[in-house]
Amino acid sequence: MTATSLQNDLIKTVDHLHFYLKQAMMIEHATLPPYITALYSMKPNTNLEAFHILRAVAVEEMLHLTLAANVFNAVGGEIKSVFTNPDFIPQYPTFLPTGETDFKVGLNKFSRDTVKTFLKIERANEVDKGQPLVVPRKTTNNLLTIHNREPHYSFYSIGQFYAEIIRGLHALYAEMGDDLFCGDLSKQVTPEYYYDGGGEIIPVTDLPSAIRALREIQEQGEGSGKERIYDGDRELSHFYRFQQLLLNDDGDENYGQYYVVNEDEPEKSDRPGYPSGGKFKVDWDAVYPIKDNVKLSDYPEGSEVYEAAQEFQSAYSKFLAQIEFSFNGHPEKLLPAVGGMFHLKYQAERLVKNPIPGIDGVHAAPVYRVD
Amino acid sequence: MSIDRSQLMKHFLDFSVVVTGFSKFNLQGTDQVAAYYATIEKVVGDEILAELLRTFHRLAEQATGNQLIMDRGMRTDIFGSEKLGPIARNIIKLWYVATWYQLPQSWRDNFGVKENDVTFVVSPQAYPEGLLWPAIGVNPPAAKAPGYGTWSSPPVITLR
Repeated sequence: MTATSLQNDLIKTVDHLHFYLKQAMMIEHATLPPYITALYSMKPNTNLEAFHILRAVAVEEMLHLTLAANVFNAVGGEIKSVFTNPDFIPQYPTFLPTGETDFKVGLNKFSRDTVKTFLKIERANEVDKGQPLVVPRKTTNNLLTIHNREPHYSFYSIGQFYAEIIRGLHALYAEMGDDLFCGDLSKQVTPEYYYDGGGEIIPVTDLPSAIRALREIQEQGEGSGKERIYDGDRELSHFYRFQQLLLNDDGDENYGQYYVVNEDEPEKSDRPGYPSGGKFKVDWDAVYPIKDNVKLSDYPEGSEVYEAAQEFQSAYSKFLAQIEFSFNGHPEKLLPAVGGMFHLKYQAERLVKNPIPGIDGVHAAPVYRVD
Repeated sequence: MSIDRSQLMKHFLDFSVVVTGFSKFNLQGTDQVAAYYATIEKVVGDEILAELLRTFHRLAEQATGNQLIMDRGMRTDIFGSEKLGPIARNIIKLWYVATWYQLPQSWRDNFGVKENDVTFVVSPQAYPEGLLWPAIGVNPPAAKAPGYGTWSSPPVITLR
């Protein structure tokens, strides 16, 4: 690292680092409800290609969440009450906790507009390798008010946000050496506790493993920038996966087109914006008309839909509590917790198939946050 | 959809709640209401189906919420009816195992052989939605996976 990076005014202390890593876990989680809501809204046995594209991304977000928790635990963060904090689940529609303020993320059905928002979440912005310093933009908008340290700073993308964490890690390591990694090793989620969930789980014990874990998140999310469609594992990055749903060379909105990544010679892969793979049907109408950004209070009290939504909400809180517990020294509890996600899925599927009593043609949807 | 048919479809949902013991929310949660309605219509024809549902609706109106009167009416006018009884029983089976079973020979002798009246599974989507699975608290085999490794934990049973 260059000397200039040490002069950056963002991450200067271990407390700052903890703050950013907590935000990282919030961001990774904050994308999950929007992605899985869109997934649940698709009618069964339709849009198989789109379903798989969305599902694979959601699974990787779970991996990212776990990787961020590993880094947080490794540098001595206190994970208890991170996931169980009521504000861990944002109130949708929301700005992302990175502080991006040019778009909001909501809980919406699968649609072209929804996918366009997903593209913004995952948008690529080249971080110059020679200049790992990230320049925050000052904004005046109100952001999520969960952490009040630097409310007027914002990053353009999630990738830039991670670049700052990586820079901060380097800087603190230069000051503290191995003392930085003072976390309890038994809190690391290692591969035997993680089932092939969209990539490699990296136990974090030192600087190189911490950097690798963060780079994995950064690269799966955004790829390596505007020039390339693939990530460090030579897989299509999230941004371009979503883009496949909106692009094809005929311009027909009812078809998407796959990008081709050449794994042996990645530089021969498709160029951004020009997929050359097979086309697939996207049926934008085979979707349940769920209510946007639904809250429990949108359902008539006492109705079955209300009860089912409430049940989902409490099951979701329980799921987060189980995840937190497993990240807090009980990694063997992670797989059963993820099994709980499948149960959640079936609960959600019943909801989206039910119209909201009294509102014609509008269906129910899962409620995540306790308001 | 004609007004009459959409009204009958509502009666069908109410009828299904009574004969399956599952709530409206759970039945709609399978997204099979319209598919089953169309299946029965296709097999026995819209007239007989309408007769069944109108009979049910009349019973419900007469019972005005009295469970005992409703039960008795269901037994005598529907399940005791040579014509409607076998169809009502078939509808229960349809909901539970997503399969239409060929009507009994006696019914076919009396009311005519219907071209589509053979035993068949309604659709690949219907199979995992059978009420049998939630009724016994298991996941439908080869569908609705419970998640990797969950076989090492106690089953999650929700009887609804």
